[in-house]
Amino acid sequence: MKVYFELNGEQKYVEIKPGERLLDLLRRLGMKSVKEGCRTGECGSCTVLLDGRPVRSCLTFAAKAKGHRITTLEGLGSPEDLHPLQEAFLETGAIQCGFCTPGMILVAYHLLSHNPDPTPEEVREAISGNLCRCTGYAKIVDAVLLAAERKRKGDWR
Amino acid sequence: MAIRRYHYARDVDEALSLLLAYEGRGALLAGGVDLARGPGTDVEGLIDITAAGLGGISRDAKKGLVIGATVTLEEIRTSREARDYLGGFLTEVMRHVATLPLRCMATLGGAVVSAHPWADIPTALIALGAEVAWRNEEREERAPLEELYRRPFRAIFRRAVLTEVRLPAWGGAFAFEKVSRNAGDIALLNCACGLGVKDGKVAWARVAVGATPYRAARLTGVEELLVGESPSAELLAEAGRKAAAEAKVGDDLRASAEWRRAVIPALVRRALERAAREVKGDA
Ligand SMILES: Cc1cc2nc3c(=O)[nH]c(=O)nc-3n(C[C@H](O)[C@H](O)[C@H](O)COP(=O)(O)OP(=O)(O)OC[C@H]3O[C@@H](n4cnc5c(N)ncnc54)[C@H](O)[C@@H]3O)c2cc1C
Ligand code: FES
Ligand code: FES
Repeated sequence: MKVYFELNGEQKYVEIKPGERLLDLLRRLGMKSVKEGCRTGECGSCTVLLDGRPVRSCLTFAAKAKGHRITTLEGLGSPEDLHPLQEAFLETGAIQCGFCTPGMILVAYHLLSHNPDPTPEEVREAISGNLCRCTGYAKIVDAVLLAAERKRKGDWR
Repeated sequence: MAIRRYHYARDVDEALSLLLAYEGRGALLAGGVDLARGPGTDVEGLIDITAAGLGGISRDAKKGLVIGATVTLEEIRTSREARDYLGGFLTEVMRHVATLPLRCMATLGGAVVSAHPWADIPTALIALGAEVAWRNEEREERAPLEELYRRPFRAIFRRAVLTEVRLPAWGGAFAFEKVSRNAGDIALLNCACGLGVKDGKVAWARVAVGATPYRAARLTGVEELLVGESPSAELLAEAGRKAAAEAKVGDDLRASAEWRRAVIPALVRRALERAAREVKGDA
């Protein structure tokens, strides 16, 4: 079957298998920021935004993308042109192996889109569905708070 | 896996006729988070019902709450209607369910039909006296959820579409408690309790305990113990102890029956205490 959807601002019309997961489709389309950790909805490394809301791409059928807007980390920034959240993660040392980072940044992006001035507690709650085996989370919270501060000063897109 | 077709149903009639045409080899798909974990090897066709007109949350004439089957758990958590119902009891319950990205997909109907014994939503719905409505080939049917769970409900929903969940209005307060290994994990035990107080005495009580590891059940002996008495600290503690005696508990890989029996008293007492404080307006 073929479906239309918007991927990081670009129109796509692609062949999918009826039982395919969004995770597999996105990686097939080159979105390698979407990571497979557990495939059971528990780790958060496969998180993407569907119409701006975070979802687990491993538990989302690809067919559900039809007519919707999907955002992966590739849609926020690139190595040459980092998103302010990516910069904040680098600056605060919130990245070690980096496996959890795309999912963390996308849930943080969603949080800041409706709450530009979160408390540390609100940041912790927002990232609570995303596991990180390296950092101990404290620096991730710092990174999101730093990005929020910059967003309030107008450094955002 | 042998999924061969994916359909987008435009309304309940279409969903139902597709489902019946598959003769057991089709599955209704709402958020799909359960089906994606393992649709069953016999499933050939998925019938997506999220655009079948089963959305929407509203208050009914009697101040109860009516929630469409495909409303997501996060839509419930953030809705004004749910916040206004019983002081935001459902908002609180949803906060305990999984994590945000899962709640953005998972639906209330999916939670009712999947009915995992460890799930939190059936416990809350049973305590609230939820009624569910569904459509089968012949007619629309309704039943209290508690009663539906005593029937072969999985077989029913192989030939029917759950359409909505109705929650009655209650003049009192409810509270929910869950014990799990971490905030995003599934419950080792959960409970939902409600109390109404009139002239200083308990007028009605609702007590449901789930993840025991069996699906939620009401503890009517505990409810009877509470009614007619003044909701004192001693009474609520006694209700907790009675709950441990009345609940059917067992072992699973997460916790032993012994552990569950030891924890139920505190869990039920805490939920009752919070409900009692809220009823009296000093929460
Ligand atoms: C990682 C994870 C963590 C979880 N944590 C919790 C938790 O902490 N607490 C908790 O209470 N629950 C938890 N759950 C369970 C979750 O609430 C349910 O899995 C979810 O609500 C299912 O909804 P869905 O819309 O995705 O269902 P689907 O996967 O779409 O469907 C589930 C089942 O219901 C059937 N179905 C769906 N809608 C209808 C309908 N309208 N009529 C008839 N049949 C229907 C489907 O055919 C299927 O058999 C968790 C689930 C996962 C995957
Ligand atoms: S891979 Fe999807 S949540 Fe872990
Ligand atoms: S940086 Fe390694 S998992 Fe988070």
